[in-house]
Amino acid sequence: MMTPNQPHRRTEDPLNLRSLPLAEPPRDGWADVEAALLGQARRGRLLRVGGGLLAVAASAVLAFGLLIGNPGSNTAPATSESASALAQTTTEPVPAPLREPPIESLIAMSQQLENRIRAYRSGIGDLPSNVLVYQVELQDLIVQVDEELSATPDSPELWSQRVSLLLDVTRLYENSLRRDYYRMASL
Amino acid sequence: MPQTPFDIQLDDLTFARAKRGNLRACEQIFRAFQQPCFSVAFRICQCRETAQEVTQEAFITAFRKIRQYRGDAPFWGWLRRVVVNHAISTIRRDTRHDTVEYRDFHEPQAPQQEKLGLAMDLEAALGVLNAQDRAVVWLHDVEGYNHKEIAELFGKTESFSKTRLSRARGRLRDLLQPRQSTATGLR
Repeated sequence: MMTPNQPHRRTEDPLNLRSLPLAEPPRDGWADVEAALLGQARRGRLLRVGGGLLAVAASAVLAFGLLIGNPGSNTAPATSESASALAQTTTEPVPAPLREPPIESLIAMSQQLENRIRAYRSGIGDLPSNVLVYQVELQDLIVQVDEELSATPDSPELWSQRVSLLLDVTRLYENSLRRDYYRMASL
Repeated sequence: MPQTPFDIQLDDLTFARAKRGNLRACEQIFRAFQQPCFSVAFRICQCRETAQEVTQEAFITAFRKIRQYRGDAPFWGWLRRVVVNHAISTIRRDTRHDTVEYRDFHEPQAPQQEKLGLAMDLEAALGVLNAQDRAVVWLHDVEGYNHKEIAELFGKTESFSKTRLSRARGRLRDLLQPRQSTATGLR
């Protein structure tokens, strides 16, 4: 089968449509295209900064959780090594964040969100067209993050970005469900 | 001789720079392909403003996803596919394009204008066609798409493409017949 990107072979042209001249565009559209690309780059930078901040915040929450989880300890906050040593020596169940480094949690969260989105999709099908635009935009951004992740798979910032984008997608579905519910309730 | 006006060769360095987000490289690609892209969008949409919008949207999509272009087939094939997808989505979404203005061109005044006059007849006849019929006949006879590919673009069966092609050719023949007879009679 020919792939969609392959150039096509010549076919019959009984009406000689190929003789028509190329149509001239009414104006040069580069300025609009450039503006859209620059806007996208700016959003990407904001996302990266936001993702970085999210990763820092997540680390701070984990460190705080570590302190709360070990109230008897008067030493400095435990590192992941001391936490795993603690897990081996005590019989008490260790909170999940201590067992896994933050990146593993982010990956797990990302998988859970994907499962949730899949369930929403199979449950309610496609989103309304006015919301679909945002979903497509978010999916595009997720694809971009995935491409960057294929180059640097251990980047917590990128995984944070992925999680926040997936969260946005789930919110679109949840809002759609909520709207449907209210519509039904009003009948 | 190139088979299609899309068959424009650009150096690999330009694509590599565009993949890294270099705007000057993107502009170079835009300037090289703007006219053939606009032309195919115009032939499908038959409205200059819509075709301009379709072209710009297609370029924005193409530059956002240019990293997905692997280089195993000519770039123009990939780009043309993006433009055609956008154009088909537009005519499917927007039923306004089912009604198009009929432009009444003058009869050729001199023998040397005969060929030009016939081309104008073709333009006018294309404008009279239903949007989907026009897209099918253009994609099949000029761009070289086969029925299976056209069916996929429209989300329909191959029979849809075959029926539309046959209907569009018949309608075009009917519309062109009197002028072609006149042109023959002049000789």
